[in-house]
Amino acid sequence: MSTERPPLHQLILKKQKGTFLGLDLQRAIRFFFASNASITIVVLALIMLFLLREGAGFLSTYKHELEIYRRSGLEYCDLVDRPLSKQQELSSKLRRALTASMDPIIQEARARRDAAFLLKREIEEETKLPREALESALEKQPPTAPDALNALRQQLTQATQKLAQAVSVSPLFSPEEASRLRQEMAKLSPEISELPPMLLELSAVFSTRDREAKKQFAELVDASEVLEETPEPLRELLDELKEEVLATKEAAVEHFTLEEGRQKLLQAAESTRDADEKADLLKEAEASKTPEPDYVESIKPVIERRDELIQAVSKYAKDIEIVAAGLHLETGTEEAKKMLARVRQQLPEHAAEMRASIEKLKAWRQDKSVSIFSVIAAFFFGTNWLTNSSWQDFFGFVPLLAGSMVIAVIAIVIATPLSVSAAIYTNQFASEREKEWIKPVIEFIQAIPSVVLGFIGISLVGDLIKEMSGWACLSWLPGFPVQERLNMFNAGCLLALMAVPTMFSLAEDALNNVPQAYIDASDALGATKLQTVFRVIVPAALSGIAAAVLLGLGRVIGETMVVLLVAGNRIAIPDFSAGPGVIFQPAHTLTGIIAQELGEVSRGSAHWQALFMVGIVLFVISLGVNACARAVVRRFELPKA
Amino acid sequence: MSELNPNPFAGDMTSARRQESAVRWFLRLSTALIVVVTLSIVAHIFIKGAPITFRSEFPFVNVKFLTELPGTLHVIFDKQGHAIETDVNGADAIKKQLGEQFREEKTISYSGGGILGPIVGTALLVVVSVTVALFLGVASAIYLSEYASHGKRVEMIRLAILNLAGVPSVVFGLFGLGAFVLTAPVLTDTPHERSLLVIPLLFTKLSFQGWDTCVLSGGFTLAFVILPVIITASEQCLQAVPQGFRETSMALGATRWQTIWRAVLPFATPGILTSSILGIARAAGETAPIMFTAALAFKDKLPWQKDMTALPPDAGWFAHWEQSVERFLGIFTESVQALPYHIYTLAARIPHNEYSERAQYGSVFVFLVLVASLAATSIWMRRRLRAKYKW
Repeated sequence: MSTERPPLHQLILKKQKGTFLGLDLQRAIRFFFASNASITIVVLALIMLFLLREGAGFLSTYKHELEIYRRSGLEYCDLVDRPLSKQQELSSKLRRALTASMDPIIQEARARRDAAFLLKREIEEETKLPREALESALEKQPPTAPDALNALRQQLTQATQKLAQAVSVSPLFSPEEASRLRQEMAKLSPEISELPPMLLELSAVFSTRDREAKKQFAELVDASEVLEETPEPLRELLDELKEEVLATKEAAVEHFTLEEGRQKLLQAAESTRDADEKADLLKEAEASKTPEPDYVESIKPVIERRDELIQAVSKYAKDIEIVAAGLHLETGTEEAKKMLARVRQQLPEHAAEMRASIEKLKAWRQDKSVSIFSVIAAFFFGTNWLTNSSWQDFFGFVPLLAGSMVIAVIAIVIATPLSVSAAIYTNQFASEREKEWIKPVIEFIQAIPSVVLGFIGISLVGDLIKEMSGWACLSWLPGFPVQERLNMFNAGCLLALMAVPTMFSLAEDALNNVPQAYIDASDALGATKLQTVFRVIVPAALSGIAAAVLLGLGRVIGETMVVLLVAGNRIAIPDFSAGPGVIFQPAHTLTGIIAQELGEVSRGSAHWQALFMVGIVLFVISLGVNACARAVVRRFELPKA
Repeated sequence: MSELNPNPFAGDMTSARRQESAVRWFLRLSTALIVVVTLSIVAHIFIKGAPITFRSEFPFVNVKFLTELPGTLHVIFDKQGHAIETDVNGADAIKKQLGEQFREEKTISYSGGGILGPIVGTALLVVVSVTVALFLGVASAIYLSEYASHGKRVEMIRLAILNLAGVPSVVFGLFGLGAFVLTAPVLTDTPHERSLLVIPLLFTKLSFQGWDTCVLSGGFTLAFVILPVIITASEQCLQAVPQGFRETSMALGATRWQTIWRAVLPFATPGILTSSILGIARAAGETAPIMFTAALAFKDKLPWQKDMTALPPDAGWFAHWEQSVERFLGIFTESVQALPYHIYTLAARIPHNEYSERAQYGSVFVFLVLVASLAATSIWMRRRLRAKYKW
C-alpha cells in the first residue's frame, strides 16, 4: 500500500473546507460572538428608536391641541383666569395671617374646648359596643322589655363611668375642672341629647373670645372678607365666557375625532377590492363628515364683551390695591406680622399682574399661528403639567424637572460626604476585621430592591420625620414642623442610601488605583498619615471620586420606585420662597410621572406621547451624565506610574 | 510590647495627632452611620415581617400566606367586638351565622390570602430574563475577552455597555413597551390592526404586532436591564483564567473555539454562574421595567391554570399533547403578578390600616429574604471560588 504521498506544501497549505457564505467554521463562530457583542449597541439604538417612534409625534399633536386652544378662545380666557387663580392663595394666606393674629387671644379657649370634645369622642368611641346595643334596643319595634333595656343601660353606664375615671384629662384643666369633667362624662348616654353643661360653657367662652378677637382685628376681618368677595363679578363674567369657548372647543375636538375615523374608513375603502363593500364604506365615511366649527364666528360674542371684561379686571385690580393699602401691620404677634407683610407685598404684585393681562387681552389674536418653537417652549419651559382636565391639558416639563433636581441634590448632598468618608476610611484606616463588616453591608444595600426602600419611606421614615419635626428642640430648623409625611427630603434620604454603594465602590476603586509610589514618596518626606491621605491620596483620586459622584447622580435621577412612593406626587413647582424649608414639600418627578400615568392613557394620545418625550429626556440625561463622568476621568487621569 | 518598650522617638499627644484622631473618628462614624442605617432597616423589616411569615408552632411557617393567591380580605365585626377575617366566599356564610350579632364589614383589597401568585410570577420573569441575559451576556463577554480586546469596535461596545448600565429602569420600561409589547414579531393568521409590518410566510404570517403584556415581554425587558451586569461579570471571570491555559491549548494545535470551549470556559463557568446570581437578584427586584410590560395588580389564577376547552373523551394523544404544549406556552404569554409590583400596589394604591400593613410587611419580608439570600449566596460563593481557584 505504498501510495505516492502528496507534496508537503499541499498538506500544510490545504484549503479550508466547508465554507458557507465565505465563512469557514472558525470565522462563523467568531462572527456569532461578534454579533452578540454588538447587541448592546443595537439595544441602545433601539431604545432611542422606540422612544422616538412613540414620542416624536408629540410636537405635532401638541401643536394641534394648542391650535384648537387658541382658535376656540380658551387661551383668551386663560389670560385673565391664570393670574386670577392666585387670588385664592392670597386669600388663604390672609386668612392664615388673621388666625395667627387672633391666636393669642383665643388659643387657650379653643384648646380647652377642643380637648373637652375630644375627650367626649374618645369615651363614646370606647363604649360604642354597649351604646349601639342600647340604641338599637330603644329603636326596636315592638319595644324591648324594660328589664332588658335597664340591663343594657346599666352595662353602658358602668362602662362609661369606668372609662371616665380611667381616661387622662388634658393638663389644660385644673384638678377641680378635671373632676367635674369626669363626672359629667360619666353621665353620657344616648338617651340625653343635649351636651354636658361644661362643654356648653367651654363653647360659650370660646365664642365670646372669638368675638372679642374679631372686634380687635376688625380691619383684618373686613379685608379678608373683601378679598374673598371682590373677584366674584369678574369670576361670573369669566365663567360665562368660558362656557361659550368650551363649547367651541368641544365641537372642534369632536370634529377631529370623527374626521380621524372618516380617514380610516376612506383608507379601508381604498384597500378593499369588493365593490359593494367599498360603496358601503364610502357611504359611511360620507355620513360621518362634519364641518369644522367656525372659530371666527363662534368667538365673536366673546370678543364683543372684551370691554366689559377689561373693565371688570381693572375694577378688580383697583379693589385689590385698596385692600392692600388698608392693611396695617401694627398689631399682633411677630409671626402674624411677618405673614401680613408678605401678603401686603404680594397683593400689589397680583394687582399689577391683573393689569398686565389687560394689555394681553387687547393684543390677543385668534388667528395667530402656533409656531413649532412655541410648542417646544411650551413643553420644555411650561410650568404646568395638567392632564385629564375638562378645560385644557398642558404638558409643561418644568415642575417635574424641578422635583427631580431638588430630590437629586438632596440625595447627593447627603450621600457624597458619607460614601466618600466611608471609602477613605475603609481604604486607609480600617482594620481587616472592620473591612469584613463594612464591605458586605454596603454591597448588600445594592441588593435591597428599590420598592422595598420606597415602602420603608412610607411606613417608617415618613413618620419618623413627621414626629421629629414636632420636637421643640428641633423647631429652629427651616420648614419644621413639616406638613406632609411624604416629601422631597424623605425621598432624598432614601435615594442617598441607594446611591451610597455605587459611589462607595467607585470611590474606593479610585483610591486603590493611586500608585503606591505616591504614598511611599509622601511617607519618605515625613508626612503624617493624615497628610498623606488628604494631601496626596485623595487629590490623586479626585477625578475618580468626582466620576463616582456623577454616576451616583445618574442613578439618583433615574430611580423610579422610591420617588413614586415617597416624594408625595404633587405636580407643582416647589415654592422656593420658603427658603431651605422647600425640601419638606411634596413634589413629582420625571421618572415617577411615567410610572404613574402611562398605565392609564391610550396609545397615540398627546399624553402618551408626552410621557415618551419625558422618557427621551431621561435617556439623554443618563447618557450625558455618563459622558461627563468619562470626560472627568479622562481629563484628570494620572500619568501612568 | 509597646508598654514594656516604649518608642523613644514618639512625641507627646501633639495637636497634629489629636487632629488625626478626630478625623479618623469622623470618618469612622460616617461609615458606621451607613452600616447602622442599613442594618436597622433590615432589622425593622425582620421584626415586623417575620411574625407574619413564621409561626411559633408546627409547621413554623405561615403556610396559608406562602401557598395562597392574593385576594380581598373581608373583616366582619360582631356586636361583642370580635373581628372575624375571611375571604369573599366565607363572608356571606359568617354574616348569616352571626345574624343579629352582625355589626359591620370591612373589605381590604389585595390584603387577604397569600402571595403565591406574585412569587410564581417573579420566578417566571427571572427565569426568562436570566436565560436571555446569560446567553447574550456570556457570548458578548467571550467576544470581548477572547476574540478582540481592543480596536474601535470594541471601544464602541464597551461604551455601549457603560451607557446601557446607566439607563434609568423606567426608560427600559418604555423601551419594553414600545419594542416587545407593541412591535415584536409573532406568527399569526390574523394580524392585528396596529401591526407595523406583515410578512406572509408559507402557512401563516409574521406580523410585527407585539407580544402584549406578558411574561415574555417583561422577561426580555429585564434581560436588557441586567445585561451590562452579566457581561461585565462574565468578562472578569474569563479574564481571570490564566493566559497560559490558552497558550498551551493553542500550542497543542487546538483551534480558537476548541481553546475557548475546552480550556477557558470550564474554569470560568462557576464564576459566571455565581455572578449571574447577582443578576437574578437585580432582575427580581426591579419594578419599573415590568410595570407596563408584564405585571398585573390582581389575578385570581396561577399562570398554568388557564381555562381550556375540555377535550372530548375520544381525543387522541396528539390532541392531548397539543393542549399541554399550549398550556405550557400559555405560561409565558400571559401577564402575571410580580412580587415587587404587588408591594407597590399594597403600599401605594390601598388605604393604610392594620390589615393592609400585615400584608405589606409579610410581602416585603419574603421578598427581601428571597433577594437578599440570592445576593448573599452570590457573595459567599464568589469568596469560596476565589479561595479555590488561585492561579
